[in-house]
Amino acid sequence: MSDDDEMVGYKQQPGKLPFARPGSGGSEKFSELRDESRIPESQGGTLAQPQGANRHDSLITGAAIGRRTPMVDSRWKVMGQAKYGDDIRLPGELFGRILRSPHHYARIRSIDTSAAEALPGVVAVSTGSEAPACFGVLPVTKDEHAMAQEKVRHVGDLVACVAAEDELTALEALRLIEVDYEVLDAVHDMRDGLKDAEEPIHDRGKYHIGDSNVQKRVFQEFGDISGMRDSAVATHTSDWYFAGANHGFTEPHAVAAHWEPNGRLTLYTPQQVPHYVHRALADVLDIPMHQINVYRTAVGGGFGGKSDPFPHEMCAAILARKSGRPVRITFDRDEVFYVNRGRHPSRLGMVIHADSQGRLCGMETDALLDGGAFASFGHVTTYYNGVLHTAPYEIGGFHYTGTRVWTNKPASGAMRGHGAVNSRCAVEVGIDDVCEQLSVDPIDFRLANLLPPMSRTITGFRITSIGMRECLERVRRASDWDDRFRKLPLGHGLGIGCGFFISGSALPIHWEPNKFPHATVHLKVDMDGGVTVHTGAAEIGQGSDTVVALAVAEVLGLPLDMIRIRSRESDTSPVDLGSYSSRVTFMNCNAAISAAMEIRQELLDATSMITGAPTERLVIGDRRIFSKDDPAVGVSYLEALQKAQEDRGALASSGAYRTPPMGRTHKGAAAGLAPAYSFSAYVAEVKVDVETGQTSVLKVWAAHDCGKALNPLAVEGQMIGSIHMGMGQVLSEEMRYGRSGNLLNADLLDYKIPTVHEMPEVTPIIVESNDPEGPFGAKEAGEGPLLPILPAICNAVYDAIGIRIHELPLAPALVHREIEKRCKELGIDDPLDLPSPDLEHSPLHHVLRERADEHSVRDLERKLDGERDQYHNGALFGLDATIPADEQDDSWTAVVLPDEQYLESPRLAGSAWLHVERRHQGGDA
Amino acid sequence: MRMPPFELHLPESLDSAMTIAGELADEDCDFDWIAGGTDLLPNYKWHLNSKPHVISLAKVSELSTLEPTHIGAMVRLQALATSDSCHPLLRQTSGTIASVMIRRSGTVGGNICLDTRCFWFNQGEEWRRSIDWCIKCDCGTGADCRVISHQNELCVATYQADLAASLLALDATIHLASPDGSRSLPLAEFFQEDGITRNVLKDGEMVTHLTLPDDAEDWQGDYQKLRLRESWDFPEAGIAAAWKIDGDGNLDGLRVASTALESIPRLHQELADEAREGWAGVESVNSLAVAVQKAVKPVNNTWFPPSYRKKMVRVLTRRALAPLERVEAAN
Ligand SMILES: Cc1cc2nc3c(=O)[nH]c(=O)nc-3n(C[C@@H](O)[C@@H](O)[C@H](O)COP(=O)(O)OP(=O)(O)OC[C@H]3O[C@@H](n4cnc5c(N)ncnc54)[C@H](O)[C@@H]3O)c2cc1C
Ligand code: SF4
Repeated sequence: MSDDDEMVGYKQQPGKLPFARPGSGGSEKFSELRDESRIPESQGGTLAQPQGANRHDSLITGAAIGRRTPMVDSRWKVMGQAKYGDDIRLPGELFGRILRSPHHYARIRSIDTSAAEALPGVVAVSTGSEAPACFGVLPVTKDEHAMAQEKVRHVGDLVACVAAEDELTALEALRLIEVDYEVLDAVHDMRDGLKDAEEPIHDRGKYHIGDSNVQKRVFQEFGDISGMRDSAVATHTSDWYFAGANHGFTEPHAVAAHWEPNGRLTLYTPQQVPHYVHRALADVLDIPMHQINVYRTAVGGGFGGKSDPFPHEMCAAILARKSGRPVRITFDRDEVFYVNRGRHPSRLGMVIHADSQGRLCGMETDALLDGGAFASFGHVTTYYNGVLHTAPYEIGGFHYTGTRVWTNKPASGAMRGHGAVNSRCAVEVGIDDVCEQLSVDPIDFRLANLLPPMSRTITGFRITSIGMRECLERVRRASDWDDRFRKLPLGHGLGIGCGFFISGSALPIHWEPNKFPHATVHLKVDMDGGVTVHTGAAEIGQGSDTVVALAVAEVLGLPLDMIRIRSRESDTSPVDLGSYSSRVTFMNCNAAISAAMEIRQELLDATSMITGAPTERLVIGDRRIFSKDDPAVGVSYLEALQKAQEDRGALASSGAYRTPPMGRTHKGAAAGLAPAYSFSAYVAEVKVDVETGQTSVLKVWAAHDCGKALNPLAVEGQMIGSIHMGMGQVLSEEMRYGRSGNLLNADLLDYKIPTVHEMPEVTPIIVESNDPEGPFGAKEAGEGPLLPILPAICNAVYDAIGIRIHELPLAPALVHREIEKRCKELGIDDPLDLPSPDLEHSPLHHVLRERADEHSVRDLERKLDGERDQYHNGALFGLDATIPADEQDDSWTAVVLPDEQYLESPRLAGSAWLHVERRHQGGDA
Repeated sequence: MRMPPFELHLPESLDSAMTIAGELADEDCDFDWIAGGTDLLPNYKWHLNSKPHVISLAKVSELSTLEPTHIGAMVRLQALATSDSCHPLLRQTSGTIASVMIRRSGTVGGNICLDTRCFWFNQGEEWRRSIDWCIKCDCGTGADCRVISHQNELCVATYQADLAASLLALDATIHLASPDGSRSLPLAEFFQEDGITRNVLKDGEMVTHLTLPDDAEDWQGDYQKLRLRESWDFPEAGIAAAWKIDGDGNLDGLRVASTALESIPRLHQELADEAREGWAGVESVNSLAVAVQKAVKPVNNTWFPPSYRKKMVRVLTRRALAPLERVEAAN
């Protein structure tokens, strides 16, 4: 408002303020000086930028990012005040319990609930017939129901549910429900899933693949397929078996459903992906989405196991509707194992070829995945088992056949490192073996075969930043690798493993990426000066609330306690895809930064109005906005805010993020596409007791490229936690099915998660490659850090005892058996006399070292040079780097269907292609 | 997970415990003793053979005595693991049991009387229904044993408690009390080779304490435990050895006991005696280890496969006896 058009009417008397200035409470009047060491060189500060500048550099205020920050919600948790799924208490609530199938596979002839309904204290009983709508996390494979329709598909499958005044009554009611089953032939072995069955576990109509239990099959061939076999001088071949693993989170699933007096449903649930639940509820309950509020409670660990919409969530809502009262269902631990969605039990055939130049001229992977009874995320898993090992190495050929079958087990699904973990382990162990055959150091070998920054993988993924080289170099130094690898005594070993993971899936599951954003964040800044952030990103303990708060605090130059996150309810949070595929930091922070930039602009404009300094010359420090040219010219944040709020009150802004268009166009090209990728390299040191076969991990040096550590404390926490989790899968964790097909260990005593005693000493090493598109350069740290620990331990075990074991977990009995076998082969009586492997470098060693040095220079140049040319996988093999290989050389192919020649002798998973989809069978099918 | 309801009795003395037990027996009411509850309650939660009455020993003051040769049934395992006055072998052994938290509740009596375990049995009710039950908790169906089929009589569930092996190696005596009076017997005679009855305790009878021979302090020993994780996991095999060295540094006494391999712990006295007579250091260690391995017959109902557990018996025995590799026989 200028002086000319002064307001008529009530006027404040000069010098007298009838109410406090907005947000002027508190006695802290002075802001701190800008900390130059936190301002990048490119912005005039002293923070070194070895990896170049980033698009968000100009937004850096030094307020928040890069500091070791405890989680913003940690106090609630350590003080016992956080409300998890089972902490929700609603007036008049009922206890819900679920009746589960005692059979692996059976047809339900009839269900009689009359006795249960007659039991005093029982308020509602419901069965599948009341909820016929299907749902599933992926729109293409909806095959789940609230409760069994005609068939039950695994022991523990849902049959009916009961709501009663107390839990014991509910349990008693379950015993009174009479179900008449016709038991069907069950499939337990995933290999049987490939065969035609009398009655496949699901029927997909004309899309059904023969009469088999094949749920999804993938065939991919990229690169010089015949050439890779011809030019190989070393070939690794292995057949792996990976047992299934469960997430083993602390909090069992728990849900509460409440139809509010206004007729709307509120569903309280510890979910990683509340939005998909929202959609599934609308389908199953047959009500519009706006009548549902999904309230995400605190989540006691998810790791992928709380990211499907679940039948029990539907049951709670159905029972609540039927009874007219709130209904709460909390799982016992065995029920957690029955809903599962853990890592797929898999049989993996891995072939790795290396040529005379020490190049990875080919990888051939065949992955058979045991999906259990439902599709869940399996469609994606089937792709991920192949495509996620097409980097970080430049490869000459990539052949992949992947098949996921239904079996009568609890469903497998997404688990930390989704789809990439097992095949990554097989690849990295294969590379170790190839290096052994070539007599070269496996770290040198890797350093000489890395893709550069700003490049394309063989299947067309867009690699932006890549810190792989630095990861390898740093763990090599930290672990004293060169002096110890292959030099330790029998039973003591060192091993290396690498990882590569998506930083957010570029393909949103439910909508077109080019039309809708992946993430949206709203900000509101009111008179108190605090900033309220509305985001749908699900805080599952990984720190998503904290990282979004950090991003906003950084841009606005505010202390973290002025930011409050509202991320719980679908009523108030803009839609977010949820916490999976390690997408939250990348996508949500980018959206939050956009929203904060709008507020920032308004603050700068207001400051300019007050001080007369031009907006472009203004910077934000700690709660103060001032001129770069003369820091004395400036105002406090609150003054600027007050000015900006004149005439309009609270500031509000909205920011969104969506991935740039990318990738190729073949079928399945979108699987594995991500706006950025994380990289990691770990060295593990192990001891193997050769007399008992028991393995313990002593130390791990873990380097992870997260782009930029917005919160180093959280990144390290993720790395250490990932090591614990991954180590469990290597050493002890398995979902074990007994002779009867029953899961033998649906409890935490026998599902063997490593304890603190098993935990090695971990040295986390954060590598910052500064991603050009990530928020302040950040990528992910949630899942990628899990991948390298498996192969690092497996390779270390080899270094310790000279035996390769292609089965996980490396249970003592298994290792012992292999040691016995080897002793027999070698004619040794005492395992203590086993030879331990050594390494004598071959001449190739120098070739690799030289190439690695050249590439190191190449990589830095490409990183810092904005005008760089395209680089496509294939250049290492002599092709023109600027053109996709298959467009310049006919021997390089890109096909996604097997030809007849392949079908003459397919590999295990590849044999799924022998079936013809029903719609192509001709005749009346 | 909810336990079936039961009535809890909390006597404050041995006498009143016996009175309650006697009364319940007169009324034909089934009951269980409960000490720390770390074994009983998980089983109750799984609805495994729960009883309508439970008598807690928590307040029975006479049972908590801990002296070098007298160990009350209610002595907590953690107390044993950290006590200065108890035999080092017992200290070592109890320190390997479960975890600190469980040891703070778990008692010596409960450990000795630990229910046998089997992966067809230690499961929830729905789970057991899905395999049509088994003898040990057949819910009135007359079901077969799932480990050794076509015999619905003998349960071969595994006794997976640690302490018994070391107590056997130290030649402990167990003392029992019942409304009809008390009795004492060598610990080796306490156990019965049946996964259901487990031991000689009669209805209403309980363990009051254990005693060690007066010369216990002259005996040294070692306990070796096979398990997957360093904490929590029940033993998959356990070997305790105790020996006495005479003034000349020669072997004057030797006992070896095994646990977690069968439905009872076992004292291998004949094997040990035989070996001791012509004790020849390493050689004897090795042959005794082989003999003990041959003497045990694990079955497939715990986490590790039985063939592996059996093989490990030799390694564990060797390691337990390692201090005797350079010792000679006493004449
Ligand atoms: C996760 C976990 C891990 C474990 N790991 C181990 C392990 O590594 N090694 C191991 O040995 N054990 C292990 N245990 C078993 C543990 O419960 C016992 O070691 C403990 O000593 C039992 O003592 P308690 O007092 O809790 O027994 P309770 O549960 O109170 O009783 C156990 C049984 O003994 C009976 N009983 C108890 N006291 C008496 C008495 N005085 N007279 C007659 N009968 C009696 C009870 O009726 C019951 O049948 C583990 C348990 C858990 C839950
Ligand atoms: S050994 Fe046989 S009877 Fe005993 S618990 Fe196991 S399955 Fe049941």
